[in-house]
Amino acid sequence: MHSSVTSLAAILGLGAVLLALPHALSFSQQEILVFLTINVLVVASYRLLTLTGEWSLGHVVIMGVGAYASALLSKRLGVYVPVSMLLGAVTAAMVALALSFPLFRMKGFYFLIGSFAAGEIIRLLWKRFRDPFGGPKGIKKIDPMPDFDIGIYAFDFFEPVSYYYLALAVVGVSLWIMWRIERSPVGLTFHAVHWQDRLAEASGVNVRAYRTLAFVLASGFAGLSGALLAHYIGTINPNSFDVEQMVFVLTWTIVGGTATFYGPILGCVVLTILNEIVLREAGFEQMRPLIYGLILILSVLFMPKGLESLVRGALSWQNARKKKVGETQATE
Amino acid sequence: MFAKMFKDGLTRRRLLGSGVAMAGSAAAAAVLPRTAFAADKVVKIGFLAPLTGPVAAWGKPGLDGCLIWGDWINAAGGINIGGEAHAVEFVAYDNEYDPTKARTGATKLIREDGVKFIMMLGGDTWPGAQPVADRTGMLFSTLLPSDLSPDTTTLIAPCEVHPIYNVTGVEWLADNMPELKTAVMCAQDDALGLPSVATYLAAFEAAGIEMQDDPLLFDPATTDFAPVVTRLISGNPDIVCLDTCYADYVHPICEQLFQQGYGGQVISCTADFYQQIVAKTSEEFMEGFVFQFPDFDDPALNDENINFRMPNEFYAEYASRYGADQWGAVSWEYASIMDLWKAGAERAGSAEPDAVLAAMKEGGTGLHAFGEADWWGKDLFGIDNALVGNWPIVVIEGGKATIKEFRSIPEWYAKHGELLKKHMAAYGQMWDQRS
Repeated sequence: MHSSVTSLAAILGLGAVLLALPHALSFSQQEILVFLTINVLVVASYRLLTLTGEWSLGHVVIMGVGAYASALLSKRLGVYVPVSMLLGAVTAAMVALALSFPLFRMKGFYFLIGSFAAGEIIRLLWKRFRDPFGGPKGIKKIDPMPDFDIGIYAFDFFEPVSYYYLALAVVGVSLWIMWRIERSPVGLTFHAVHWQDRLAEASGVNVRAYRTLAFVLASGFAGLSGALLAHYIGTINPNSFDVEQMVFVLTWTIVGGTATFYGPILGCVVLTILNEIVLREAGFEQMRPLIYGLILILSVLFMPKGLESLVRGALSWQNARKKKVGETQATE
Repeated sequence: MFAKMFKDGLTRRRLLGSGVAMAGSAAAAAVLPRTAFAADKVVKIGFLAPLTGPVAAWGKPGLDGCLIWGDWINAAGGINIGGEAHAVEFVAYDNEYDPTKARTGATKLIREDGVKFIMMLGGDTWPGAQPVADRTGMLFSTLLPSDLSPDTTTLIAPCEVHPIYNVTGVEWLADNMPELKTAVMCAQDDALGLPSVATYLAAFEAAGIEMQDDPLLFDPATTDFAPVVTRLISGNPDIVCLDTCYADYVHPICEQLFQQGYGGQVISCTADFYQQIVAKTSEEFMEGFVFQFPDFDDPALNDENINFRMPNEFYAEYASRYGADQWGAVSWEYASIMDLWKAGAERAGSAEPDAVLAAMKEGGTGLHAFGEADWWGKDLFGIDNALVGNWPIVVIEGGKATIKEFRSIPEWYAKHGELLKKHMAAYGQMWDQRS
């Protein structure tokens, strides 16, 4: 009872902080906050995929599938933007389902390379077919999210604060669904497929089906993040979803750690703040790639289990301290 | 400067370079009108271009050039706006050639830094900044007029009308080397490469030069250019055209052309840091290489029609601060845009974007760096927001870039405009074809 009250209070506290956060930031930091929120969904969905032990190099391209689908549906067919975003997510999931047939004939390193190749094929298709994808210049003037007024707050989605609230709601719900999936029997089976795939198979688990399920679910959420991005900046092109962006996602995931749900999110938040705010504000604008790279090397050398290991260390230290205080009081 | 000079070792070349640069600074202070300005009168100009990453070669040297321009203008008393002298200050934001960062940068520059004008490279990054421009009415400039369309009313291309000026290089080649009859072309398949491909195709067709094959479009992620070059020169063409390849492609392609024994003519839009290409190949191989961007120590730039102030001194100062081998295509371009903006602001008596824009376009002509030019572009871009006039043809001779001639872009267009529109349309590059 006490524990659940504490958890609820923590969640409410976090929610209040997240709602108030943009008002404590400058205009450009509000913009960065919008992109950071969207990227949190990308890394969290990437972790969902890695639960089954497979690492993909095509996740950002799948995000792009959602972005392109949503942009085209709203621009060409006049689909209402919130609906087109959901359809973008569904399209990304369907593309992932189609790709799963050849890709899950491979495992491990081969899957990694296969996913990269599949992603590049999709990117080349965007470039090759100017109609409807716009070729190398991509799609511009993508319909924005329509503004609306709820009485106490008028949402103007050009403004980063309004779009942040939209993204926060979408990402919050998505994270909650992913959290529930991971805690469900399906999520536990994902872990089993990762760590004991032969044993799981011997127990009657269809390993390939579960890998496909994780891939499709993760891709759906990635597609949703792509749609959120597209309708905010109003333009997308194949370079927005290239391997360089994928390297960022991998970096956030590795530096954050994948053992916990919050690990990759922590990596994304810390590294984005470092790269986009701290180093720019400190006057190291043109040296950012150098310093960023150095920090990555150091973190991998001295924090091989990721930033999440710091949090876990702090939590276990706190628990041990509480236990010790409890024992002392009991002795007295 | 002196600390750096002594730290790196004093050489005759460095001493002479510094001497010329100092003389240039002194001359700038003497020649430019001097007025006193209060310290609190500052006009801020935004610089929103890639300063890191693969496209940094078309951003960073431009910022370096602007800093020289700013120092010279401030030393000469600043910009006279409405009877008051204002110091100029550049505020830079590295957009990494990413539209999301362009949007963030535009927001920061306008809403936090209070800039009055923003210079961009354009291309992939302009659509990210465009909603901010539309909402705020801020005046932006681009080096890539393919960003222009009827609804980009606050976007101007006052310096570089990429890639239209490339026609002058091909026309010059055809006039001076009529024995060259066949050509091949390669380009990266992106927003910079494709309009340039269409332009070169029109220029070659107008010049009666036959294309041996369709343009070879390679992916921007390409790093191994050996197979590209092997295929390119397999038909032994008279001309190899490198289109508007980034410096990261021009260098390895030239190396491959050299290593695979190509002995024909090479033409390119840019040859940034060409001294490094000469070092990697040979002076003989690079002899006669045609491109479009001069070094500003060229005596031809002292012609009375040139509006860029003290180009030779500017080059000397640039070489002194950053090294001659860091001079690139854009080193002078953003500074030349600032010349136009300064003249517009002084004429308008205001730094407000709409007033400066109206003053800049007054009379339909402007003083472009290479001579008087017209505000033009409705035919091709749907809006007359590009300043078009003469452009130089540059040839490497004895390992040094040399201006051979200035040619008129409007004159070429008057004769062959339909050809250009045909090829632009074929590549989906007309303003009404862009999605």
